[in-house]
Amino acid sequence: MARKATNTFTHLSPFQRFYLVAVAALIVGPFLPLIIQSLAFRWAWPNLLPTVWWMEQRERSPIPLAWDYVLSPYSRVYEATFNTMVIGIAVTVICLAICLPAARVLARESFRGKNSFEFFLSLPLIVPEAAIGIALLMIFINLGLAGSYVGIIIAHLIPTIPYMVRMLTAVYQGLGREFEEQAMILGASRWQILRMVTLPMLMPGVVAGALFTFLVSSNIFLLTFFLGQGKIITLPTLLFSKISGGTLDASAAGITLIVSLPGIILLIISERFIKEEAFGKGFGN
Amino acid sequence: MATQDTALDTRSGRRSTAQRNALFLRIAELAPIVIVLFVLFGGALVLALLQSLGFAPWFGINTFPDFSYFGALWGSSAFWVSLGLTLYYGLVSTIIALIMAIVLSLALIKPFRGKTLYKYLYKLPLMIPYTVGIALAVLMLGNGGILSRLMALVGMIDNPGDFPQILKTHYGWGIIAVYVWKQVPFMTLAIYAVLLGIGRETEEAAAILGATRRQIFFSVTLPQILPGIVSSTLICFAFNVGAFEAPFILGGGYPDTLPVVAWRYFNDANYAFQLQGMATVVSIGIVAGVILFAYLAVYRRYERMRGRA
Repeated sequence: MARKATNTFTHLSPFQRFYLVAVAALIVGPFLPLIIQSLAFRWAWPNLLPTVWWMEQRERSPIPLAWDYVLSPYSRVYEATFNTMVIGIAVTVICLAICLPAARVLARESFRGKNSFEFFLSLPLIVPEAAIGIALLMIFINLGLAGSYVGIIIAHLIPTIPYMVRMLTAVYQGLGREFEEQAMILGASRWQILRMVTLPMLMPGVVAGALFTFLVSSNIFLLTFFLGQGKIITLPTLLFSKISGGTLDASAAGITLIVSLPGIILLIISERFIKEEAFGKGFGN
Repeated sequence: MATQDTALDTRSGRRSTAQRNALFLRIAELAPIVIVLFVLFGGALVLALLQSLGFAPWFGINTFPDFSYFGALWGSSAFWVSLGLTLYYGLVSTIIALIMAIVLSLALIKPFRGKTLYKYLYKLPLMIPYTVGIALAVLMLGNGGILSRLMALVGMIDNPGDFPQILKTHYGWGIIAVYVWKQVPFMTLAIYAVLLGIGRETEEAAAILGATRRQIFFSVTLPQILPGIVSSTLICFAFNVGAFEAPFILGGGYPDTLPVVAWRYFNDANYAFQLQGMATVVSIGIVAGVILFAYLAVYRRYERMRGRA
């Protein structure tokens, strides 16, 4: 009896085994036809594989036609990648500067109304993005910030701050005060403590928060699309313009793969950094 | 919960220099985040409300307070159909994603071969933009898509037109598929994190005491993972209600979801329609706000009943 009970906790049931495989297939499966599509020359219904691959046309084009287009300046992929990087890095740096001090207070001090304050900090996550996007666009048009980098970077702060502050608060909470107190007793100044004790200890958490903020920023579509006014394109908005007709040709498939690439790279380097605690923290408890 | 710090600050009346410095430091540390969020986020919401009530001096319109924009909007049946569609897509996808995520987290908590790799793999949709999910939906679920070809392979259909329309209908299965695909990993992350935090001891104890698997799930596991469920469903539902790209590309056209309606109003050459668009935006905010706060209130009440908060 007891043995059977432990078994159900340490072994997957046949259904769970099937479910894990099915979910994995649903998640990764669609990427296979996507890759095939980007390499196809002619791929008509109902064939499961292209009837003409690019190789058979290689005398016309040395690299796959779709990729030839994707990698050329005409596709605007480079421009969009550059914009995504610049905006993402700027958002991450500003977000860190804003959230680091706030996270210290939230983790270490208690004050009246702290719970309500934390709830307020989470609000941007639960207010529909369309509402914020259009309202901000009105303000930014009047300020002359619509269609500018500055405007998009400011707008990206709204959905990134809640995650960043949660992740950094979790990091601060996990960090004891002892080392800082020791440094203080030994006569270090506030600035010295911050620079030589606190920051090095916070580093892994800061890196995780920064990576995640960059990720969130690079995935934002609506705010960039509304506030970029078509003047500034990023990878998600570029892909939107390619597929907004509701079809996916070979070059759009190539662009989809390019747009997925930053996320895949970040996933590989950051899996161990992503603090699951930041997601598990509930609202209002 | 009044704390020692604040008690000292306020009740003694006199503050030492050190205390005052600490207070100033704390205010200085919180100031940037408060300013950014209050000004941007609060400012945007207030301005949206003012505009939807007729305050737009930059267009030469200032009839504040003027409820005619809301009146015109709420008086049209198209608005209510749009609202219904918006809530339907948001709700159905959140529920499906939640069920899938709970089952996935319960499997993930157990040891199995290849778990390290799996934990990379399942997070993939979390890392990439929604537009990628939409592109994949077009590729897989379109009438000439992979699913349609597979059905032709097994002889269920003879031409693409016979394939049941998934995209561009008001049933919205394409939109729902994209939201679910993208949000199952997000919810799983939240629920799995809570599961990791609580350990398996209480469930094992219940099993030893003779509880069935159903009893264990509903009486032990579910109440424990509720915080993760509530926070992740709140975020996903709010996102789904406010999302633009998936309904725009995969939706069935008129009547559109509210964010698409707002966007169309907003891009209208007639400035007066922008105010109508603002009224739409504010309506989205009000509806989402009421639903989410009611949800939170019910949840908090439940937690209080259980004596947890």
